[in-house]
Amino acid sequence: MEKLEKIMQDTAKHFLQEQKVDLIIGYKQGTIPLRTTPCFVTKPEDISQLVWNVCCDHDLTNFLLQPEYKDKKVGIIVKGCDARALVVCMAEGQIERKMVTIIGMPCPGMIDRKRIESELEPKEILVAEITEDQIHLKGKDFEQTLQKDDYIQASCKSCRYNNPPVCDVLIGGQPIELSFNDDLDEKLAELEAKSPDERWTYFTTLLSDCIRCYACRNACPLCYCKECFVDQTQPQWVGKTTNISDIMFYHMIRAFHVAGRCVECGACTRACPMNIDLRLITRKLQNIVKDRYGFEAGLDPNVPPPMGTHTMEDPQEFITEPE
Amino acid sequence: MKEKILPKEQLPQILKTLLESYKVFAPIKKNGFYVFGEIETPDEIALNYLNSKIPPKEIFYPRTEVLFTFTKSPQGIDIQEAINPSESRVIFGIRPCDAKSFTLLDKFFSYGKFKDPYYQTRRENTLLIGLACVNPRSTCFCTSINGSPFGEEGLDILFVDLGDKYFVKSLNLKGDELLDQLPGLTPASEKDRFNMTELLKKVLASMTPEIPIENINTKLEQLFDEEVFWDQFSQKCIGCASCTFLCPTCTCFDVVDEETSSSGKRIRLWDTCQFPLFTLHGSGHNPRPTKRQRLRQRVMHKFSYYPKTLDEIGCVGCGRCIIVCPVNQDIREVFKALQET
Amino acid sequence: MTVAEEKSQIKEEKSWEPKILAFLCNWCSYAGADLAGISRLQYPPNIRVVRVPCSGRVNPFYLIKALQAGWDGVLVSGCHPGDCHYLSGNLVARRRFAILKDIVEFMGISPGRLNFSWVSAAEGEKFSKVVKEVVEKVKKLGPIRKMVKE
Ligand code: SF4
Ligand code: SF4
Ligand code: SF4
Ligand code: FES
Repeated sequence: MEKLEKIMQDTAKHFLQEQKVDLIIGYKQGTIPLRTTPCFVTKPEDISQLVWNVCCDHDLTNFLLQPEYKDKKVGIIVKGCDARALVVCMAEGQIERKMVTIIGMPCPGMIDRKRIESELEPKEILVAEITEDQIHLKGKDFEQTLQKDDYIQASCKSCRYNNPPVCDVLIGGQPIELSFNDDLDEKLAELEAKSPDERWTYFTTLLSDCIRCYACRNACPLCYCKECFVDQTQPQWVGKTTNISDIMFYHMIRAFHVAGRCVECGACTRACPMNIDLRLITRKLQNIVKDRYGFEAGLDPNVPPPMGTHTMEDPQEFITEPE
Repeated sequence: MKEKILPKEQLPQILKTLLESYKVFAPIKKNGFYVFGEIETPDEIALNYLNSKIPPKEIFYPRTEVLFTFTKSPQGIDIQEAINPSESRVIFGIRPCDAKSFTLLDKFFSYGKFKDPYYQTRRENTLLIGLACVNPRSTCFCTSINGSPFGEEGLDILFVDLGDKYFVKSLNLKGDELLDQLPGLTPASEKDRFNMTELLKKVLASMTPEIPIENINTKLEQLFDEEVFWDQFSQKCIGCASCTFLCPTCTCFDVVDEETSSSGKRIRLWDTCQFPLFTLHGSGHNPRPTKRQRLRQRVMHKFSYYPKTLDEIGCVGCGRCIIVCPVNQDIREVFKALQET
Repeated sequence: MTVAEEKSQIKEEKSWEPKILAFLCNWCSYAGADLAGISRLQYPPNIRVVRVPCSGRVNPFYLIKALQAGWDGVLVSGCHPGDCHYLSGNLVARRRFAILKDIVEFMGISPGRLNFSWVSAAEGEKFSKVVKEVVEKVKKLGPIRKMVKE
């Protein structure tokens, strides 16, 4: 990955020097081990701050929608999932293709620092070194080596598009093929085979910890509404409490609002401070729009999102038609 | 003030005794992280932790709570208060920083002539038994904010882990009384006391160097309008508000009514200055429309307004906001930058 | 539960009748319901009607909120595809409801609680049949418990 990092820096620098872009949004080293933090580079000489490693899990497209970048030419570092989110924003007319220079990274899968940290607690990681397939960790009285593949983020294991489907340059020129063992589809099938009551129990248990902080919404690159339904008060459709009915209401509508748009980047699950795993819901959303409308989000900016279009022939097996 | 020694294997006995007469809250492990939860047996407790991910403030100040309910009758409107005197409780194993956060919450919930009865009734009947940090995180900065990994503020009793035994110290009358009821304690010797001080020295030495924060509030005030200063931090914030939701000293709340045509209730819920809605006026005007202003508010409130109104910094240095932030916003960077300006 | 309480609950459940909230498009199904009435067609009295300008006006909030408020089922009925007064309101609604139903049922609400139909102004008889079928379905499911708040 160091090689790619170098190429990425050179490419970004080139874009800045040529004034093809006003700024580059990328990642730099964070303040604690296994963390990177978004960084905004405007001067070519600062480009060496940019890093590329398996801790670059944050989705940077979020920033493009912010007013301060509206009229800027932005170069942005994206993984497969980020590029897809970008494509959705473009398809929805939120971002102009010509304003963005997409620097695509073939993504090898990001590591799950939350899980590593939680498994190690009460030991604390002070230094982390990551090689091609290992993670070396050091702390006060310990040293430990983990196999990288064992600690890939769950959402990356089930990723279907780790290489950006749309970009201006693909750093390194070589897509990466992923081959992780992933059981998300099996888990989903298992859940779907259960009775509604069992599924209700599953979801109410899963979501009972939700504190309604909306970090899942805010982290989502596609939740860009100026006023979110949970913030509306006149009328207030969704109760704001942690009553389970209100929680379910929130999650049903949140899922509905990202249906056909969600690119399974996993940002929501990653951001949740309560470690609630929303991936079965997001995978289900992919299947729903695929099965019904043959659609996959984030692959082509010129195809309208399924909820923004319709045909006379749409499936309607669910319509009550009495004999 | 009593100083005792408790062999570690006696701890379950202590917890059992506590469980007989109190509701006991202690750290437990859930979904891969630690929280404070009610325990029913001593073996549920998980003391081998750095700190809980969710601060224990929830115990006194729940995420949502009903303040009162109302029903409409032909006679008028009938209001039922929902203040329930709580049973006696103990929080066991709380970290000194979190105990200190309660002293801040106490001030906040009894500011001026108004006392918050909801918070107060829960708080009054609760004893706090702390567990000193012998293994502070690298993100902890309590020592920079007049705290200590062995801090006693807000606690009734402090436990210090000396390896095979606990050094147990009662810190006030309530603590004294409770200690008298607990089995298995023997008086601490001079040597134990010495060991404890040595341990404290060792722990302090292992901590991340203190961040100088003197004059921080005046400095912050001067920088209030410096957009560039705030932008360098707020730029990467995604406004998720995890930092405030998981902060032990954040207290902001929203009040909503939920009603039908004949009855309803008034509910208080956690809110956060990191959401634009927090300050949105009815007119549509928003005095804090950008994340620059919202991040500034978070910093100013804790490090400038709190010292002004309550004479104390509104942060205990637990580092939760640093750990939980998805984009690695590190409040220590703000202090560093402040030093440099 | 005492025996008496149990008995009274059984009795209550036996006499229980579902309450169904129906959102009817002003231009078709609402008129269809009217026609059913004028034609003296019998259908179960379990529905309460909310008249909406178009099935496309029905926000998913309404449906989930209805369940939350204790309605045992909901029905949205609009013009047949191609006949929408606003040309495509019902086509938008069709996608919307398909996805909403998939999600809500995936999360554990029983199929049969959320219902959709196309009934034109001329289909008074169809309207009465739709209502019968929906009421039957919801009756089988019993009173709603899952989404109800408290
Ligand atoms: S819903 Fe979650 S997985 Fe889907 S795009 Fe949003 S953040 Fe990513
Ligand atoms: S981030 Fe987690 S806790 Fe917060 S609203 Fe979303 S699911 Fe609930
Ligand atoms: S946790 Fe981080 S991203 Fe979220 S509001 Fe706080 S500073 Fe911003
Ligand atoms: S007008 Fe009847 S569905 Fe649109």
